[in-house]
Amino acid sequence: MSTRATSVAVVGRDAPLWIAAAAIQRSLGHLGVSVRAIELPSILQPQDVYSAMPAIKGLHKQIGLPENLAIAVAKAVPLVAQRYSNWAGASPPWMVGYDDPPPPGSDVDFVHYWARGRQEGLKPAFEDFSLAASAAKQARVPVYQEGSELSAAYGYNLAAVPYTSLLKAHANRLGVNVEAAAIDDIVTERDRVGAIVLSSGDRIEADLFIDASGPEGVLISRLPGSELESWDEWLPCDRMVVASGAPINPPPLYSQISAFRAGWVGLYPLQDRTAVIAAYNSKHISEAEITESLPLLARIPIAGEAIVSNLRRGLRSRSWIGNCVAVGEAAIGLDPLESLGLYLTHTCISHLMALFPVERNAFPEAERYNPEIALAGQNLRDIQCAHYALNRRFDEPFWDEYRDHTPPESLERKLEVFSLTAHVPLYDEEPFEEQQWAALLSGAGIVPRRYDPRIDVAPDETLIQKVQQRLRDIAIAVPNMPSADDFLKRSREELEVAK
Amino acid sequence: MNQALNIVILGGGTAGWMAAAGLISLVSPKLCRIRLIESDEIGTVGVGEATLPHLKNFNDTIGLDEAEMVRNTRATFKLGIQFSDWGFQGSRYIHPFGTYGRATSGSGFHQRWLRARAAGCDWDIGDFSYAIVAARRNRFDFPDTRNAGVSSTYSYAYHLDASVYAGELRKLAESRGVTRTEGKVADVIQDDETGTIRSLILESGEQIDGDFFIDCSGFRSLLLGSTLNVPWEDWSKWLPCDRAFAVPSESANELTPYTRSTAVEAGWRWRIPLQTRTGNGYVFSTGFTNEQDAADSLLNGLDTPALDDPRLLRFKAGRRIVNWEKNCVALGLASGFLEPLESTSIYLIQIALMHLVPLLPLAGMDPRLADEFNRKINVEYDRIRDFLILHYHLTRRDDAEIWRYCANMDVPDSLKEKMELFGHSAHIEQYRDGLFTLPSWLAVYIGQGLIPTAYNPLADNGSTERLIADLEEVRDEISDRVDEMPSHSRFVERYSRMQQPWKLQPAETQL
Repeated sequence: MSTRATSVAVVGRDAPLWIAAAAIQRSLGHLGVSVRAIELPSILQPQDVYSAMPAIKGLHKQIGLPENLAIAVAKAVPLVAQRYSNWAGASPPWMVGYDDPPPPGSDVDFVHYWARGRQEGLKPAFEDFSLAASAAKQARVPVYQEGSELSAAYGYNLAAVPYTSLLKAHANRLGVNVEAAAIDDIVTERDRVGAIVLSSGDRIEADLFIDASGPEGVLISRLPGSELESWDEWLPCDRMVVASGAPINPPPLYSQISAFRAGWVGLYPLQDRTAVIAAYNSKHISEAEITESLPLLARIPIAGEAIVSNLRRGLRSRSWIGNCVAVGEAAIGLDPLESLGLYLTHTCISHLMALFPVERNAFPEAERYNPEIALAGQNLRDIQCAHYALNRRFDEPFWDEYRDHTPPESLERKLEVFSLTAHVPLYDEEPFEEQQWAALLSGAGIVPRRYDPRIDVAPDETLIQKVQQRLRDIAIAVPNMPSADDFLKRSREELEVAK
Repeated sequence: MNQALNIVILGGGTAGWMAAAGLISLVSPKLCRIRLIESDEIGTVGVGEATLPHLKNFNDTIGLDEAEMVRNTRATFKLGIQFSDWGFQGSRYIHPFGTYGRATSGSGFHQRWLRARAAGCDWDIGDFSYAIVAARRNRFDFPDTRNAGVSSTYSYAYHLDASVYAGELRKLAESRGVTRTEGKVADVIQDDETGTIRSLILESGEQIDGDFFIDCSGFRSLLLGSTLNVPWEDWSKWLPCDRAFAVPSESANELTPYTRSTAVEAGWRWRIPLQTRTGNGYVFSTGFTNEQDAADSLLNGLDTPALDDPRLLRFKAGRRIVNWEKNCVALGLASGFLEPLESTSIYLIQIALMHLVPLLPLAGMDPRLADEFNRKINVEYDRIRDFLILHYHLTRRDDAEIWRYCANMDVPDSLKEKMELFGHSAHIEQYRDGLFTLPSWLAVYIGQGLIPTAYNPLADNGSTERLIADLEEVRDEISDRVDEMPSHSRFVERYSRMQQPWKLQPAETQL
């Protein structure tokens, strides 16, 4: 036990840096592990937004960050669903909400009842049976309701700059030591990081180095075997632009994601403004053109500058090498679609904590971490890729190319099996459960040819009752949920009380 | 919309009748017609007397009454498997059907147990498993799932007469509309172009047409293996046993609520208590002994007088590289074979059926359905395989050639990594699909002597005194609750005797 890893240096910037440092400090700081954060200059702009799916609440709990404080500081608005429009010609928009899975041992999933209804000519969209989608449309937050059969979760859209400052202050409070000096040199010894030399002349050594520096991977990219396996063929947007738009009142509880001829533009409501992100392919639209047409695409007034950056999409062949562990975008580059960025960081940290090294000189944990993270990354990529692969914007070169392109095998299986059976094959390390996948795939236009035969055993009246019951349950549950205003007001009040 | 799918099941036995009863109960007769071909002249293997807790689920799903089933199959209850002499001679542990610690202890329990151990508490981890403690004391009662107390932390399976069980399923299946045809297959007609199976020709000359065939023909694998020539993946280099002798003996006075598995000179012996007899067997490798010696060894090791001559079974460990090819799925022994060390045979039939039902080709045959089925089944098979190999490989026995061989053999990388990481930091891989979860791996690792050199540092949260007090409290609570349970023999007797045992109230069971 005397050879345990007792010093950790986290190199990185912005939310991933502070999340990683805070998580380790909070769990292990009082057990003799010292955590040092080496802060690289922020790349955040005031326009930036962190859009986070519901797992963010678990993350806040893990690092001990009060939820209401985060909501207040980051001007957060609950995120109940994503709404996709213009991805499929003239088809109506669809929602992907965060419905909770049915309790174990219950009936087959509701998507099968929907699929059967569709075959019999019934009209409802799958989202009509989704509590989350209904809540999102009626601007209600699906907080936990005692005794309700159905339940859904929600995440947040968070203003990136204040949220990051809050995380930093929180990490500080927890006891993380912060080094803000620039890095002069990174000393590597074969497949290990030996030390980080700062411009102050300080030499930082540690048993374990965490790379939370984003796509650049300042540490991990120095080590052999960390090369990026590109996902460009499946995630077609190579640039993104962020901007700030006028607030929408009251703020919608969903992110609005609209496709246009060379990519998509997303509106992420915050309390005092609307963050705008567009992702696009630079071969199909120029930087000048996108920044100029952004207000038109977003359909809201844009305030100030639009900032363009590159998107690196891919997976490092190894994310944990020697004594260096890459987390978040340092390990895996994604598209901003479906708000998976913070989730990715969170997932990496969770795996790291479960595999936290027990010895400072041997890291067999890496052999587990690497395939787990690769699989998690693949599943995240597939969620995003599904949107591109299933687009129905015909006669636009960008969309035609990615519709016709063969998706990764892991995704192809999901698309095919869902089309044939209404079941979605799930792998280990899935961020989405069957509900989200079904919402995504049915929304994008797949009507399954079959559904689970088990539901046909019951007489037709039972099926009809079941469907009607579901609609009734939703109709009763949603109006009892707080509106965004009520939710935020309550959050502020609770925060006051806590103070 | 479509015509009903004509499903032909070849072979009765446990696999055939589970398939028939499962399909007829889960799929509307509007969607499929089910016909089962079997011959009374062909015996069934029916060794699968020890089951896993999942079977209750299957029975509940198809509506097979538990009390009736227990009565008719002369079943006893099972809380786990006791392994003797596996890791080293003189060792003994139970692989429980349950978790360690409280219902709320989660996946970190063993980490905290290791911490207590490092602090000088040399506690048997088995004392923290409700199922293990109950098994050791020969107690049984149904789990109490009304709240999340320690008596909700386990499940149970049955020791049963598999041929009677198959008979029960047959009654149920036939009463619901499965047609049974007596006969042996003389020929199989395939489509000239596609090779799909079109009909079976029986020795009587009768032609049985089908859209979809389920091969439950046992080791012969008449359709998937012989007709469709799906290759066999051989695993005997890791699981060297290739024979078993089975023999019933008189029932013991005390019914154990667990199966016994004892590692011996060239394999291992099982002992399964039924109400009216004891099932015994010796699984061995002809690479390390011969049939005569094995039979003698089995008979000499019985603890009650034999009721019959030992019956020999020949097998090889492995599976067909796919279990669904063209329009044919194999279930049971026709699909592959894993020795009964962890009672997985009936489970594999059940899980295959449960994967098959949602993928049935009701809207036409599609190779992608088969592909997805095969992916799922292979994950199941491969993960069970690794778990079985672990029992053989994780041993310090050097008194017999087979154990020296197994200790030194090169195991699959997937297993090697698991063992290395557990030994290093007590980490146990968790996965979505696959039978054996964390407590199972833990039981075997620790039980066979792989004690991690360290544990996850997160387990150091909280004071040592509090940890120790908490663990002692769980241990005592389990012990106290188990003492309130009836003996297994008494429970079985009472449960089987009752006319309406479903009215049994938990309070009444505390005789």
